[in-house]
Amino acid sequence: MSFITKKYMPRRTFLRGVGATMALPLLEAMVPAATPLAKTAANPVRRLGFVFMPMGCDQSRWTPPGRKAPGGAKLGELSPILSSLAPMKEHITVISNMELQNAYPGSHATSNSAFLSAAKAKLTESSDYYLGTTVDQIAAKQIGQQTQLQSLELAMDHLQVVGQCDNGYACAYQNNLSWSSPTTPLPAEAHPRIVFESLFGEGGSPAERLAALRKRASLLDGFNHDIARLQRELGPGDRARVNQYLDTVREVERRIQKADADAANNPLPDLDRPEGVPAAYADHARLMFDLQVLALQGDVTRVITFQLARETSNRTYPEIGVSDPHHPLSHHGNDPAKIARMAKINAFHVSLFAEYLAKLKATPEGNGTLLDHSLILYGSGIGNPNIHDHTNLPILVAGGAALGMKGGRHIQFAKPTPLANLHLTLLDKAGVHLESFADSNGKVDELFEPLSV
Amino acid sequence: MRRARQVNESRSHARICAPECRGRVSVASNPVNRVRQNFDVRTFVLWGFFAAGICASQTVRGAEAKLPAPVQSFVGDHCITCHDHDTKKGDLDLSIIKSLDGSHDAEVWEKVVRKLRARQMPPPDKKRPDEASYNAALTTIETALDTAAAKHPNPGRTDTLRRLNRTEYQNAIRDLLALDVDAAALLPKDEAGHGFDNVTVGNLSPTLLDRYITAAQKISRLAVGTTHRVGGDTIRPRPDLTQEERVEGLPLGTRGGVLITYTFPQDAEYEIQIRLTRDRNEEVEGLREPHEMEVLLDRESVKQFTVSPPKGDRNFEKVDAHLKARVAVTAGPHQLGVTFVKNPSSLLETKRAPYAAHFNMHRHPRLGPAVYQVSINGPYSPQGPGDSPSRRAIFVAKPTKPDEEEKCAKQILSTLMRKAYRRPVNNADLAKPMEFFRKARTTDGFDAGIESALAAILVSPNFLFRVERDPERIAPNTAYRISDLELASRLSFFLWSSIPDDELLTAAERGELHKPKVLEKQTRRMLADSRAKSLVNNFGDQWLYLRNLDAFSPDLRLFPDFDDNLRQAFRTETELFFESIVREDRSVLDLLKADYTFLNERLAKHYGIPHVYGSQFRRVSTAESGRGGLLRQGSVLTVTSYANRTSPVIRGKWILENMIGTPPPPPPGNVPALKDNTISATLSVRERLAEHRANATCASCHNMIDPPGFALENFDAIGRWRNMEEGQPVDATGGLPDGSKFVGVAALEVGLRKRPELFVGTLTEKLLTFALGRGVESSDAPAVRKIIHDAQANDFRFSSVMLGVVNSTPFTMRKSL
Repeated sequence: MSFITKKYMPRRTFLRGVGATMALPLLEAMVPAATPLAKTAANPVRRLGFVFMPMGCDQSRWTPPGRKAPGGAKLGELSPILSSLAPMKEHITVISNMELQNAYPGSHATSNSAFLSAAKAKLTESSDYYLGTTVDQIAAKQIGQQTQLQSLELAMDHLQVVGQCDNGYACAYQNNLSWSSPTTPLPAEAHPRIVFESLFGEGGSPAERLAALRKRASLLDGFNHDIARLQRELGPGDRARVNQYLDTVREVERRIQKADADAANNPLPDLDRPEGVPAAYADHARLMFDLQVLALQGDVTRVITFQLARETSNRTYPEIGVSDPHHPLSHHGNDPAKIARMAKINAFHVSLFAEYLAKLKATPEGNGTLLDHSLILYGSGIGNPNIHDHTNLPILVAGGAALGMKGGRHIQFAKPTPLANLHLTLLDKAGVHLESFADSNGKVDELFEPLSV
Repeated sequence: MRRARQVNESRSHARICAPECRGRVSVASNPVNRVRQNFDVRTFVLWGFFAAGICASQTVRGAEAKLPAPVQSFVGDHCITCHDHDTKKGDLDLSIIKSLDGSHDAEVWEKVVRKLRARQMPPPDKKRPDEASYNAALTTIETALDTAAAKHPNPGRTDTLRRLNRTEYQNAIRDLLALDVDAAALLPKDEAGHGFDNVTVGNLSPTLLDRYITAAQKISRLAVGTTHRVGGDTIRPRPDLTQEERVEGLPLGTRGGVLITYTFPQDAEYEIQIRLTRDRNEEVEGLREPHEMEVLLDRESVKQFTVSPPKGDRNFEKVDAHLKARVAVTAGPHQLGVTFVKNPSSLLETKRAPYAAHFNMHRHPRLGPAVYQVSINGPYSPQGPGDSPSRRAIFVAKPTKPDEEEKCAKQILSTLMRKAYRRPVNNADLAKPMEFFRKARTTDGFDAGIESALAAILVSPNFLFRVERDPERIAPNTAYRISDLELASRLSFFLWSSIPDDELLTAAERGELHKPKVLEKQTRRMLADSRAKSLVNNFGDQWLYLRNLDAFSPDLRLFPDFDDNLRQAFRTETELFFESIVREDRSVLDLLKADYTFLNERLAKHYGIPHVYGSQFRRVSTAESGRGGLLRQGSVLTVTSYANRTSPVIRGKWILENMIGTPPPPPPGNVPALKDNTISATLSVRERLAEHRANATCASCHNMIDPPGFALENFDAIGRWRNMEEGQPVDATGGLPDGSKFVGVAALEVGLRKRPELFVGTLTEKLLTFALGRGVESSDAPAVRKIIHDAQANDFRFSSVMLGVVNSTPFTMRKSL
């Protein structure tokens, strides 16, 4: 006797639902309920999520109150910005006094680019940008091999901001959180329909999907054929660039083969696409979070990065009563009223993240939940935005119970500690065992150790 | 090594610097470091000359060696005191530079020229040379640099492989297949470098290749019109669009709604469904009485509806559920209009000021209902692919019996491929697409075969990449003339942001394009073509930052009368204005001062200009209104402001970068402690910036950045004229980097036009960057000077600048690897 069924919502129903409200209330119903059960507790799937909050926060309203203790203290009363995480308290660990020394001397571009790379961005506004491979991409090369998408890069902005982006830094630094090599930024997608299509194709029956995949494979083959011809015509100096394209071809090929195999082994449900972009920021953000739940639940990808807003975003948040653009507001000049308004934005971002965690927690997997089998980093590359400071960053980690992460605590380092230490720790848990990462000088083992009394 | 040794030699000349010099310069303690700093030319680029120094005038030693007399005396009188070996202001040591034409020295001298041209050096507060001395020194330096460049042309090297960016892809599809697609929905956005999104286009990420494949499939299916699953698109106007007036392009007597250009894939029925805008309380805003609605297809009314407020209760859930119609449409592009019949009684009594913006129930409520979204679903009951413009463009041959199919397919595909690949095609090129054709032909018929082959063409690197190859067996680092076919692509992507057309391609295939007369003829023809509009909305929008307009929303509490209509009107004004310069071949200096502009009623009201009625734009004389010229346009003034106030810093930087080509350097690595810098919010922007400049490190750049922006202070953050700000008279005292001081926009324009070579040179550099897809280097400076010089003889007409670019060394030549 089981209540699990293979029923899912008909595509048209979903389409009408989207047309009516743009919320995605039916997500759970759209994935066959038994899919996650294919994974067993004996073989925990390790997933990594990274959620970026722009332009720091008001640290006084972020840092949880309470005593400092070696190895961390129990997370007591939550600070105002984190208050929405109360139902998730047992699943989060707040880490204070982490820093990004390599984000200096930049500011916004480097806050974004250093967040996951912990690397120094080369000062240039041209195509010779150089950063470092980001933590998510190193992990993706390890744990992403087994999924249809090695990783998924998401953002909230469709804007085409042009001009020099920030103090002589190319826009690539400010736009892209994820870099698969020091010279390869990975553009993030903000359009829900396109994200959906990259996860689930155009939809349709498994047979239709399979035929579509075969067509893509043959088109890719055509590209490969012509690029190989082109390479023979070029001088040796130009062939290196073509070799990069051939790597790209192989990666796309791999994705297609994987999807082909998945279609056979693990038929995806009959889904239809969300079509537009929700007009309200919060609705859009929720939809993007919902798509992440779907992607993780369906095991389409295991590594996701998400930029909640861009650095120097001048977005206003009238829905929470903040009509000041975020960026100028973050340079609050220590004006208490401005700081209070900025903190409302910080709290708003955290509350959207809290909703996401709740959805992950509500999704069963193995003997636990999706949240237990995921490690999710939330934070910013700036501490105090008023002074472009990259110390005492707002950082927290969620989930990970299946991997032994101890939640419900607050780790406060006595000395400023590189954020790269945390990246190194997360990589370790993803099965990538490195000696060091960027400017790391240790690991944050406290995350996984029992509290010392 | 050579330079390092020189430095060491000159170090042996012990010199005495005035104490005040030494005291103000941070001296590296380690001599080895000093030598390294000298060796790194980039250091000059970053820091050259910016620090405004205080140095007593002194006689030169060290630089007297081989420089021509006017330069030597100029340097000796005005430069060397600060830029000698010991003081080395801004890391520039002129004492070690002994000639005008050594290639390393040339780079330094180009920086010197730039500073002298802009009269930025010597600093305004120092003893300044007279104009004659400036000109004598500049002429000597520039002549030497130009002569050396003519002897050894250095065209630089554009990348060998550059993929089409999103705009180019969209235009290429339009010109290849007579099909309008929205590339923004198909491809990820492009990164910008050097201010343009066609510079960093060498990489190919998996995501991008993935999307190219998807796009090719969608486009080929739509163009050929083969079987379609029922799908849909949803079009939403921006939520801050006021829908109280007629939309241009919709019939008189209508109000609001949207006009959509949509390509229908087949002759079939399509379902059009409309949803109305809700307010916070989920009530349809503005629906207080019955309203008539119309659905128009190519201006013909195909369906009428009535929408009424709910009877009895306040439940609006169902009031627009019936706005749904099945319409028979032929394949191809059509104009779908959804609008309201204007109610004569839709005047509303309001307790508030009568704003022009109406999109928010609390502040400025909608007077009548508005369209929130239009969904188009289909095809239903399809009748076949029909006779669309795309099919006419593709099917240049039609088989009448099966054994003609192979031949026709070859003809169709080779015609497409020549345009798509921008060169003649051979049998080897045809092999793959024909393979695709045959395979799909076998299972699904001739059209499906063409569709499949077309998809293969659209994912071919021959289409997706612009490739420039070095000639065989050429020595490294050699300048050579690019091939006529490469020139054709450079020209069409520069002028049209698209592929060459048949005439241009033919001229290149004949090997005639490089001939000056042919090149000029083709350039003029292409400038007159409607496709040259891309110079306005692709080049111009990026140069002037108009692309940032969509991201701009002011604080609505401070600027309640701002809506998408105004935002789009800003853009239209500037685009029409720029286009008038292009089409009427005016002097590019008119961009800085003109006695006309383009307005509709909404924008005219915003500017306070009477007697302009209706939604269509028209040319308006600005003789009395104080408008006209880029610096007085809402678009530019808005994208250089914050949401809640003007920013003299951003405006100043915009002018320095985009009008006179003297961009400020990036801020120093060690921004001094702003920790103590709690500035009172009660100070005005000018006072706050003054506090900021009180810090010497900040002042060294902001003394130059802020003043041009201050001159525009009479325009508020959304471009309205103001004489008072928060009860105080506006202080529009500003200046330029040449040290001039003045008040207001008119004087700023005079100042900018006083040295036309700065503005024309900046525009030329922007055009070159856009045309070449690379940053402009100091080695391009001689080419830029030649373009300015030649254009001057033609009153700086737009075509003369364009022809200058097209004929320039960097545009027609390339350096081998």
